[in-house]
Amino acid sequence: MIDPRLDIIRKRLDPVRRILVFAGAKGGVGKSFCTAVTAVELARRGLHTAVLDMDFQGASAHLFLGAELGFPEEEAGIKPLRVGANLELMSFAAFSGERPVPLRGEGVREAMLELLAITIWPPLGFLLVDMPPGIGDELLDLLRYLHRGEFVVVATGSRVVVQVVSRLLELLRSLDAPLLGVVENMTKTSPQTEAKKPPQTEPAGVTGGGFGEPVESMCARFDTTVLARLPFVPDLDSRLPLVESLDGTLGREVRALADALTRGLAAPAMPPSA
Amino acid sequence: MHEWALAEAVVASVDRILQEHSGKRVLAVHVRVGELQRIELEVFRQGLAIHLEERPYGEEVFHLETDPASFRCNHCAREWLLEGVPGLGEDELEAIHFLPEAAHVYMRCPGCGSPDFALQSGRGVRIASVDLGGQE
Repeated sequence: MIDPRLDIIRKRLDPVRRILVFAGAKGGVGKSFCTAVTAVELARRGLHTAVLDMDFQGASAHLFLGAELGFPEEEAGIKPLRVGANLELMSFAAFSGERPVPLRGEGVREAMLELLAITIWPPLGFLLVDMPPGIGDELLDLLRYLHRGEFVVVATGSRVVVQVVSRLLELLRSLDAPLLGVVENMTKTSPQTEAKKPPQTEPAGVTGGGFGEPVESMCARFDTTVLARLPFVPDLDSRLPLVESLDGTLGREVRALADALTRGLAAPAMPPSA
Repeated sequence: MHEWALAEAVVASVDRILQEHSGKRVLAVHVRVGELQRIELEVFRQGLAIHLEERPYGEEVFHLETDPASFRCNHCAREWLLEGVPGLGEDELEAIHFLPEAAHVYMRCPGCGSPDFALQSGRGVRIASVDLGGQE
């Protein structure tokens, strides 16, 4: 049997200038949050942006973005859901709503191929892929089928998180996958306040989201950079959707992240298309 | 009309196969259409016709055959067919039409009620074979 979807995915992604894959290996580090705030900022700059929520079992990009779920419009394929000006979304949740999605690996692969094959993206500056935790089916399939993905790795200052995320970085390095850098999420202090403090000798807590050192060291080991440090947002639920709430330190750091991504900071050369 | 996107994919596959066998011509393309996805064959054929413009083969080479959907429960090993699934509403069927894996959201094993089942056949669109002939 020949799977015809494999022969059309590349064409479907032709209207997309850059594909950024937000991955983190560890659950709870805020991949969806980082994806969403980046998408909001890129769209605010007038760059047509879409989010593809690959976390089928834990889809949440629509919640961060305030997208109204419903079946996509059909037009020689399906159109992503319109979230706002310059901002679109495709998610399994468009078909499942808020119901549980109990999929095994083969189902994940099939759903991913289907969405990649039938979604008709408009001309996009950026397609942001929100990955689920882990380095299993979704990541391996994405590496296999989505040839132009540039990785943005999300971590927190927790040493446990850094340990797990390091394994993802090791895998990406071994596969020569393009890596743009690391976002440190849920920082409890800002770069400004940190600069005024005496040197920190205590290690960051296991769940703590400290500031700087563990993530900096990890980046040094993998010859990459910290793209931005997003602060912990204690009142996140009350600030949803994120479309109009990127102010203060969060807004500043998100703008720094968007600057880095739009400059192509540390962007490695893309491997030639197969 | 997302059938057109799948039809375009089938044409892309045939184009690739033809490129890999330079000088051959397409005699027949056998397409299996999974029952679960509820593809409208007429709309699918329209999609083929649209994407076949300027191709050295026409719509007549495509033979569509429906592949019955069958399931097997990973929990209790019961097997069943789509026709034996009661109670799916239009919205649920529409969701499965777009994305067959939505079946795991809306269907349960009729024996034990588990959502942990495997789709054994009849999911979506596949090409069973492409018959090529001699030099054009």
